Amino acid sequence: SSVSQMPVAEGKSVQQTVELLTRKLEMLGAEKQGTFCVDCETYHTAASTLGSQGQAGKLMYVMHDSEYPLSCFALFENGPCLIADTNFDVLMVKLKGFFQSAKASKIETRGTRYQYCDFLVKVGTVTMGTSARGISVEVEYGPCVVASDCWSLLLEFLQNFLGSHTPGAPTVFGNRHDAVYGPADTMVQYMELFNKIRKQQQVPVAGIR
Amino acid sequence: MADVLSVGVNLEAFAQAISAIQALRSSVSRVFDCLKDGMQNKETLEGREKAFIAHFQDNLHSVNRDLNELERLSNLVGKPSENHPLHNSGLLSLDPVQDKTPLYSQLLQAYKWSNKLQYHAGLASGLLNQQSLKRSANQMGVSAKRRPKAQPTTLVLPPQYVDDVISRIDRMFPEMSIHLSRPNGTSAMLLVTLGKVLKVIVVMRSLFIDRTIVKGYNENVYTEDGKLDIWSKSNYQVFQKVTDHATTALLHYQLPQMPDVVVRSFMTWLRSYIKLFQAPCQRCGKFLQDGLPPTWRDFRTLEAFHDTCRQ
Ligand SMILES: [Zn+2]
Repeated sequence: SSVSQMPVAEGKSVQQTVELLTRKLEMLGAEKQGTFCVDCETYHTAASTLGSQGQAGKLMYVMHDSEYPLSCFALFENGPCLIADTNFDVLMVKLKGFFQSAKASKIETRGTRYQYCDFLVKVGTVTMGTSARGISVEVEYGPCVVASDCWSLLLEFLQNFLGSHTPGAPTVFGNRHDAVYGPADTMVQYMELFNKIRKQQQVPVAGIR
Repeated sequence: MADVLSVGVNLEAFAQAISAIQALRSSVSRVFDCLKDGMQNKETLEGREKAFIAHFQDNLHSVNRDLNELERLSNLVGKPSENHPLHNSGLLSLDPVQDKTPLYSQLLQAYKWSNKLQYHAGLASGLLNQQSLKRSANQMGVSAKRRPKAQPTTLVLPPQYVDDVISRIDRMFPEMSIHLSRPNGTSAMLLVTLGKVLKVIVVMRSLFIDRTIVKGYNENVYTEDGKLDIWSKSNYQVFQKVTDHATTALLHYQLPQMPDVVVRSFMTWLRSYIKLFQAPCQRCGKFLQDGLPPTWRDFRTLEAFHDTCRQ
């Protein structure tokens, strides 16, 4: 999979740009296949545990992906990714003393899944609270399990579809060059995308309503 | 059309024959009229009977006469259809509505065409019989015809020999691992894993490859009871395409006298799929066409092509 951000087209709203993209997919011959949702909540280590060990507060991200409805992903920035079942959310409530949810940190992307040959394309609207902040584009090529093997092929597909907004190779692709790609690698990409969009929040982007 | 006329239809005799038929019909109906009217009023019963019988006899005579005449004429008319290559259908040429329905000329065309087809098929079958392309060795040559039920020798190779050939091929290609099993008696089944790209189930009959199914590296190749699943196809279009091509390759690599060479050639060809997602098409230079990577590998050069880009 490759997850990337599609900038909002000039003079258009997020919604209009999403429509533009999905229409392009349908013209390619892609077929609608339901919807998807990826969400992410930020936690930081509680102040009480910080002082005693004298270490900097680490952020932890707890994510869900409708593609893996029975799983819950817990990620640290540049750190390990834990894949647990959905009971993990209950556990996080119990761990309130150690990890506290950052206020209004919830960010998610929702949209439509499209199937084109063996490609799965998910175009989503990224929202924080109630406002649309940007557009996410995920392209998955199911037959290939080694990400770096099919990057050229993915790139060609992305170029056909995103034109000049084609992203560079995701960093997870280069990390372990013949490792089998897994759902955690997709989560890391979404986490990075969400963090990027959070930072853009301060600078209003032209065209976003 | 010329040869239809040259058969010599005697049109005059034809016309006479038709009037002879008319005469015969009327004489026959006169016989029945006479029978229907019965005996006419005459003075005596004897007179009545005599007159009736005489009248009846006259009528029968004339039927006989007309019938003889018709037989004579029918010999003169001849049998035009007998010598024609299309037999009775040749008479279609006599149809006056020919201009509207060109049935006869179409018939001639079809006849010529099927003649040619038969001729060429004969040539082709002769040529093919000279090549030993057949999958079973028992169909080769004339001598085999005398003992059609003889078992081809390559089908009764000892399992140990098959194991040796397979393990030698396994050692030849480091990126390819071959796992041999015999779940159904003597016939071997192979599970070939090519890098982290694909898996191939190969069903063998002795050293002949009977069937192959190509699936993704992350796809399940076993049934619920833990046996190799030789029937279900891949969920991905790209591997379904490769399965089709592998089946074509099985028909291409044939050498009944040296089945081990065939298996080795097939595996060498299969190994070229290690770059299935990394090799652009050698003709159009692209990776994707209709959403698929180049799924075809040339049998000789092993170069990658899209299905529609191959020569
Ligand atoms: Zn091509």
